[in-house]
Amino acid sequence: MTAPVAAAPAPGVSGFGPGAPMVEVEGCTRWFGDVVAVSEVSFSLPAGVTALLGPNGAGKSTLLRLLCGLVAPARGTVRVLGRDPRTDLLVKGLIGLVPQQETVFDRLTALEFVEMCALLRGVEDPRAAAEHALSIVELDPGDTRWLPTYSRGMRQRVKVAQAIVHRPQVLVLDEPLTGLDPRQRRHMTDLFHALGRDGLCVIVSSHVLEEVERFGSNVLVIVQGRLAAEGDFRAIRDLMDDRPHRIRLRTDQPHALSGALLADGTIVGLDVVGSDTVIVETTRVSELRVGVTKVAADLDVHLWEVVPLDDDLDSVFRYLVGR
Amino acid sequence: MRLYSVFLRHQLTWGRAAVIAGLGALAVLIGLTITLQSTEKVVDGTEFINGFGFTVVVPVAALMFASAVLGDTVDDRTLVYLWLSPVPRLQVAVAATLASITIALPLVFVPLVIAAAATGAGPALVGATAVATIVGVIGYCGAFVALGLRFRRALVWGIAYILLWEGFVATASETAAKLSLRAYTSSLLSQFTGVGLRLGTLTVGSAVVVPLVVCVLATLLTARLLGRADID
Repeated sequence: MTAPVAAAPAPGVSGFGPGAPMVEVEGCTRWFGDVVAVSEVSFSLPAGVTALLGPNGAGKSTLLRLLCGLVAPARGTVRVLGRDPRTDLLVKGLIGLVPQQETVFDRLTALEFVEMCALLRGVEDPRAAAEHALSIVELDPGDTRWLPTYSRGMRQRVKVAQAIVHRPQVLVLDEPLTGLDPRQRRHMTDLFHALGRDGLCVIVSSHVLEEVERFGSNVLVIVQGRLAAEGDFRAIRDLMDDRPHRIRLRTDQPHALSGALLADGTIVGLDVVGSDTVIVETTRVSELRVGVTKVAADLDVHLWEVVPLDDDLDSVFRYLVGR
Repeated sequence: MRLYSVFLRHQLTWGRAAVIAGLGALAVLIGLTITLQSTEKVVDGTEFINGFGFTVVVPVAALMFASAVLGDTVDDRTLVYLWLSPVPRLQVAVAATLASITIALPLVFVPLVIAAAATGAGPALVGATAVATIVGVIGYCGAFVALGLRFRRALVWGIAYILLWEGFVATASETAAKLSLRAYTSSLLSQFTGVGLRLGTLTVGSAVVVPLVVCVLATLLTARLLGRADID
């Protein structure tokens, strides 16, 4: 893989060391006519990859447009690298965006398009930068075909190339894996992680949970325009104490083990589903994790497996959306 | 410069060029007919250039190209790539306006000047046509770039302006006429050739300066609209 594009030092923009928020959204609301697209959303993001997750129509794209300054908030503030992305020209050059729409300029080659973007964003050697960016996304800079003749996946990669060509500090990706084959999806995911490790703030939106899980554990969940949760999705799950955790235990004596756990109050429900399996429900998941082996030892039963069934992103998302 | 060349490539399509070239060819043919059949070549030639060249060819050509230069990027949602560049909005607006003038001007200038010469009305009409075409294209292009950015169906709004405002409303009062670019091109023709034309009552100075001012103000408006627009 070609070396990814590290973030450029930005003149006039400083103070964004490790852990410092690079993107700050405070009480942001935006509506279109009668429709409230984003409502009272607040969060901040440091360097690294954050997945923006939500069902279709939840307000993800509007939130990303707010981050890039493409629309102005009706209320609240958006700060990218401490500046207003709507009005500040300097910060526009430090943002890279892969927009959701597929259309690109229709009478340009990939190299011309990416070079044009580099030039407009003040890159010193736009031709070389464009060639490098295209090689990062595994496209041939020498391809003389016009962009409309490209496949959907190739156009998507061109869009990623134009977003990284100027070495942005904040990279905003709206459904960036759409149309890519599995190998390219993996390649892009690796690229985004590498950029995050290099100090970029990478924000990736998707409604496909498998994709989001590959982007890492840090998520923003948006539902009906509101921020439903943010942070590590496993930590989010732990905080959802109104939903008992479901855990599968495999043991040679499921009735005895689950009965003992029920008796000491560690679990609140159980479902024996076979001769060696019981699914238990608990609101005290930490205690269960620690105590189940001791209970098994005391009862002299074999405990083969302890598997949480609903602390994956899919479950967290379903719980949040279904609330 | 690069932005300017992108706009040039983006708006020049064979379809648009063919429509304008067709109108230009028609103008030349009618000009030849006038020189063969008319006994009042100056009057007939001036009225024809005014009635066809500056009522149809110039505004329609400017509308087709200028409304598309940013309007097309709004429609196909590629404006986002330009908008996210750290380029002052005024530079974008100027590049767009210059690009539309660059394309529209030669496409209408050459056939209209040839048509004016073909009428046999003499050098005064040819000179007036040349000056009025330049002034008219600049004024209309500035206005229609802003129109294309502001309205989704800019062609319809532009046609409505050309037909309803310039065709009817402007003839109803002197004040309305001053808000019509056609009054300035008509005035140039009238002042150069001495042929009395409806709306052609303004001085040469104002007929040259006002469309240029319109272009400058419209470009500033385009820059302002770019800064305030919601980008898809």
